[in-house]
Amino acid sequence: MTAVSDTDDGGSPVTAELIAARSTAVLEANWRKTHTVPAAGLYPHQWSWDSSFIAVGLSRISPRRAGQEMDALFAGQWDDGRLPQIIFDPHRDEDYAPGASFWQSGQIPGSPKQVETAGLVQPPNHAWAAWKIHQADPAESRRRSFLERNYSKLVHWHEYLSGRRSRGGSGLACIVHPWESGTDNSPLWDTVMLRIPADCKTELNRPDLQHADAGERPSQKEYGKYFWMAERYRDHGCDDADADYPFLMEDPLFNTLLAVSELALADIAAELGLPGEAHRERAERITEALEALYVPELGCYSARDVTDGTVVSKATINGLIPLLLPGKVHAEALLETLNGPRFMDGRALMVPSYDATAEDHNPALYWRGPAWFNMSWMVAEALEGLGHTDQAAFLRGNIGRLAAEHDFPEYVDPWTGAAHGTRSFSWTAALALETTYPRSTP
Amino acid sequence: MTLITVQEQHLPGASLEEKFDHALAWGFGGIELRSAGELQFQARLRELRRARNAGVVMPTACVEMPHFVGAFDDELRKDAVVQLKSQLSVMAEIGGRGVMTPASYGMFSKRLPPFIPPRTEEADTAVLVESFTELGEHAAAEGVEIYLEPLNRYEDHMINTLADGVRLLTLVGLGAVRLAPDTYHMNIEESDLAAALQDAAGYIGHIQASDSNRLEPGAGHIDWALFGATLKSIGYQGTVALESRLSGPAEEVLPRVPSLLGRYL
Repeated sequence: MTAVSDTDDGGSPVTAELIAARSTAVLEANWRKTHTVPAAGLYPHQWSWDSSFIAVGLSRISPRRAGQEMDALFAGQWDDGRLPQIIFDPHRDEDYAPGASFWQSGQIPGSPKQVETAGLVQPPNHAWAAWKIHQADPAESRRRSFLERNYSKLVHWHEYLSGRRSRGGSGLACIVHPWESGTDNSPLWDTVMLRIPADCKTELNRPDLQHADAGERPSQKEYGKYFWMAERYRDHGCDDADADYPFLMEDPLFNTLLAVSELALADIAAELGLPGEAHRERAERITEALEALYVPELGCYSARDVTDGTVVSKATINGLIPLLLPGKVHAEALLETLNGPRFMDGRALMVPSYDATAEDHNPALYWRGPAWFNMSWMVAEALEGLGHTDQAAFLRGNIGRLAAEHDFPEYVDPWTGAAHGTRSFSWTAALALETTYPRSTP
Repeated sequence: MTLITVQEQHLPGASLEEKFDHALAWGFGGIELRSAGELQFQARLRELRRARNAGVVMPTACVEMPHFVGAFDDELRKDAVVQLKSQLSVMAEIGGRGVMTPASYGMFSKRLPPFIPPRTEEADTAVLVESFTELGEHAAAEGVEIYLEPLNRYEDHMINTLADGVRLLTLVGLGAVRLAPDTYHMNIEESDLAAALQDAAGYIGHIQASDSNRLEPGAGHIDWALFGATLKSIGYQGTVALESRLSGPAEEVLPRVPSLLGRYL
């Protein structure tokens, strides 16, 4: 038995075995025959980047389910290559807004015929996840032709992002909605959100507030703006050709994951006996283009508003994720920022989502301060790659312990570990499982 | 680690000691006995004691009888209870954990003509509660357990899913009456094997492992990785016995099973 901490809330020792046992139970409870819901109440459909994190965890207990999770997601791919933010469960349309009845994806040319989806996307961590899933059990992966079947889909997905979504012409993909960043109410979007009207046509219905405290969710006004943008994007046929569309942002998190996933595609191509050099070149080009998003005075990357070319001057977790970039670009400065007063400061248990020195930092409010398990996991992956194994182990240990101690919360206070948001959250369980498994397990 | 056992008929050897040597050589940790009716199991006591004294690990027995505790015929039902009580006492004597039995086997299927069983569901339940109460009290007195194995719809009409079994066990309310899921039957009856095991976690006392086609694990399409992770997740401490048809000669196919299951358990 591996002692991770003294006791949990119930007085039992929190061992690696206990973390794995409870994580497995959460993932099995949230499984819906073809995919995993992020949380049974708050998020009742399949979410794109959630599924990648979840599948990485699932690959530790069932490589087959991990593959099925990704297969279900790829089944929602559009003709243009996009992997949608959400694939809707037709039986749960009343339980989440905006749902299938809002998007009416079947009316939009190029949408999949068999499933209803959102028109937006989420960060492209899928090829990275697919390669990790393959590595977890290569024999099972080959038996199911997992990479063979999905390689071209992943390539098509990246082509969409590098093509239609390169709205700024910089070589970086644009997001067209805060939801596409995965960090919905991050302070990175505050300035541009000021210019977004809040008078959406849809009557605002907030089923999310039945599952989480209103003080821990985006506000009603923010939701009005979110819906206004979603309506405008939908009503323009999700065609990425709306010239005056007001939200076009280049996000360092989104583009770092695109670069990391391009490198994964190179590995996948090699496994399949295909040339992969083009993927490595694209990863390099994205890394170079990201240079324009680096803010020396913050010691991290930030987001650029493509409509006016300005780079937001705010330090967020999104700006630290480029630690994962190939070539260790700005790695020293990023590490200094990570460990400085804005983030870890020698006392945080996991990485805050927003600059702790900012006046509007709120350690309990969604993406405006709390620490999220997926972000800390990615930082740990980066630290491991940079040889900072002790700090990687510190973060991984806290991911497992805080997850199991607090019933797998959506996010936590970075300094106290106090739980916030919904509970039995799937990617929290998946990454607790992933970090808890012996690193030597193939 | 969970003890993986194999039923005795699969093992070559003239004695249980010889069979145990083969079981160990093939990677198993013990033997699941087959307990025949007409007090034949009790008649094996000398053989079983000798094996126990020689260190043969025999934690469980699986009934091998023509009638069961849920029989329509009251005399047959009562005989099944007599037989099982004797078998439980034998297992107690040789230091075993318990005996497993289905509610019935091959007696009636609601999926085959004439479709309507001759006894009502309420009467089925009453009969099973009475039988398992008597067996549970006897098992508790002997310090062993009686395991109820849900069978698929074509083999039994009363207890098909783990949830059916849990409902009955709740009515019986005795700690010595536990559930013995068999993955072959689960593959037919459960919509999600992992979720079914999680839901029944507190009731499971023993498990039988066969693949989706009733062949040995690895010869079908059950997700054994998930099966193992789920048993670890529920903190399962019991035994997993191999009760399967075999896809080839025992000496070829059985040694693969402990290494397959052992990867995940």
